[in-house]
Amino acid sequence: MTEVLLRAVGVSRRYGELEALAPIDLALCAGQTVALVGPNGAGKSTLLSILAGALEPSAGRVEGDARTGWVPQRPAHYARLTARENLELFARLEGVADASAAAARLLERFSLPPDQPSGELSVGNRQRLNVALSLLGEPQVLLLDEPTASLDPGQRRRVWEIVSGLHESGGAVCFATQNVEEVGQHADRVLVLQGGRPVYAGDPDGYAEAAEEAFR
Amino acid sequence: MLLFGKDVRILCRSPVLLGALLAYPIVIAVLVGLVAGYASSKPRVAFVDEDGIPPVVQVAGHRFHVQTIIDDVAKNVTLVRMSRAEAARELSSGKVVATITVPPGFLDKLTSTVQTPSLILRTGHGGLTPVVTEQTQALVYQLNRKLQDAFVKADLDYVRLIQQGGHTTLLGHGYDVLGLDAMEKLLGSLPPGQRVARMKQFVAFARFALTQTGSALAATANPIGLRQPKTRGRSWVLSAQVQAYGIAVTVTFLALLLAAGATAAERDEGTIGRLGRGLVSLGRLVWAKVALAGAAGLVLGATIAVVFGIVVEVGGVTGGEPWARLPLLLAGVLLAAGAVGAAGTLLGALSREARTASLLAVLIVLPVIFLGLVPKAVAAPAAWISDVLPFVHAVRLFSAALYDASPWRTVAIETAWLLGIGFVFGLLARAGMKRLAA
Repeated sequence: MTEVLLRAVGVSRRYGELEALAPIDLALCAGQTVALVGPNGAGKSTLLSILAGALEPSAGRVEGDARTGWVPQRPAHYARLTARENLELFARLEGVADASAAAARLLERFSLPPDQPSGELSVGNRQRLNVALSLLGEPQVLLLDEPTASLDPGQRRRVWEIVSGLHESGGAVCFATQNVEEVGQHADRVLVLQGGRPVYAGDPDGYAEAAEEAFR
Repeated sequence: MLLFGKDVRILCRSPVLLGALLAYPIVIAVLVGLVAGYASSKPRVAFVDEDGIPPVVQVAGHRFHVQTIIDDVAKNVTLVRMSRAEAARELSSGKVVATITVPPGFLDKLTSTVQTPSLILRTGHGGLTPVVTEQTQALVYQLNRKLQDAFVKADLDYVRLIQQGGHTTLLGHGYDVLGLDAMEKLLGSLPPGQRVARMKQFVAFARFALTQTGSALAATANPIGLRQPKTRGRSWVLSAQVQAYGIAVTVTFLALLLAAGATAAERDEGTIGRLGRGLVSLGRLVWAKVALAGAAGLVLGATIAVVFGIVVEVGGVTGGEPWARLPLLLAGVLLAAGAVGAAGTLLGALSREARTASLLAVLIVLPVIFLGLVPKAVAAPAAWISDVLPFVHAVRLFSAALYDASPWRTVAIETAWLLGIGFVFGLLARAGMKRLAA
């Protein structure tokens, strides 16, 4: 039986009168990549934020002790600190034993300029730093919110190479996307959301119709 | 400490922001000082003369130069001569804070020395009214002091006339007065007898009693005098009060803006979500901002205190203890900056965006400071509101630390206030931070 690393049980989120996410169940299993598909406002980012522990659900719960890495849709780091300083700071906050060494490894792996303020980095480099930060705690579950939306094809390929590495090592990956091509290439399962409600959950082969309806 | 170190590093990497944060509150402190100086300067009061008082007035046999007397006694107000209509117009427009009118017949009553004429005071309805009324009462008191000397001298002239005899005019009629001296001589020329002896005894007693009249009149006019010997103390600009206000204004500005901006920046940069996933508790995040505000306030407050101390030392100014009380002052600055920082963190959490937070902080900090400057006697509600904000407690704490001979009671009370206010704002900021993270 496949090990469930992280499970959302009936999680939902309301902002006053607005229901951003209707109650939903989702299990992320080891060695599995799940794609969250849906138009803007479908609830993808809300679900990922809840799974990452960055947002409290209005109802329901998230189960599992797995270490999670989170790549928010918008790069989340300090613009006046360099890439190295950002990585070292968050490594220390994550409780990484040798923060400097961990930062140096990720800088090399992502080919990031170490001493340039991150606010002055290119869009692609900022997003790579965003992904690098999510890997600091050596996560078992990686949650990515449209990680390649602002990247050129070469940069996209590099990001997916890194994500695939985690998937192959037995971790779970859950990513939000509006890119059909990425779903076909990387997802084992697809969850289509529309207006905060799931409209399809299953194989990538059968999601196209539901997705088309959702994007209409 | 990690987040605090990060915030300090980010602040040091923003030289323009840092310069503005340091320069702006100092500029505001100077402006507040000027405003405070203006507030304590002479209010403009209209002087309406409806009696046509001549430049020189004779009262009780003494000549008075009216303008000289006005210049001499109007220490606390600036009297400006104008017509009745003009005065009424300027009073309603607020150009003068009061009008003093000399009604028709005033001089006749005054020169009669048997009637008490009245000046008419009209004040506006602003917050300065009680102050102006007090200052006008002081002006009338000063005028009375000038006149009473003349009245006493006039009374003494009558006494001298009774003692020495002579010619005088009273109520338009001329009189030759015999006088006690001449009467005594006259009685001496009369044949001795019991009745003459009794008259001589009366004359002697009357002469003795009248020699005491001058002192008695002076004592009646001025039961208690006030002398003000000149001392060589601190000038206005070097007063502990100004230093206390200066540090409080700059620290309040800096701490509020810094904490509000730094908190809102966490959301702008998206890091609050990353931090909020169990890396840092919201309470620790609030503490990091409070610590940043406290540290920045301490550096700025210490700089001002040291510069002030050097100026006081170089100027050889006596009074106050610029160095001995420095540790107490700096402990107060740290506490006050932290309390303001907690308020700033709340502001940053509520405003959600750094630019809005900075604008809100500027919009809020000025009324907070000016509320603290309004005397309770002028507007009590302002003082009540000010009591639940850190600024006024910071001023009292700094002032006591710098100036009071026994500052501990005030220091303890204001420390308790600042801790309480800081704690409440800290709790609210934590709740606001939760909202910000969502």
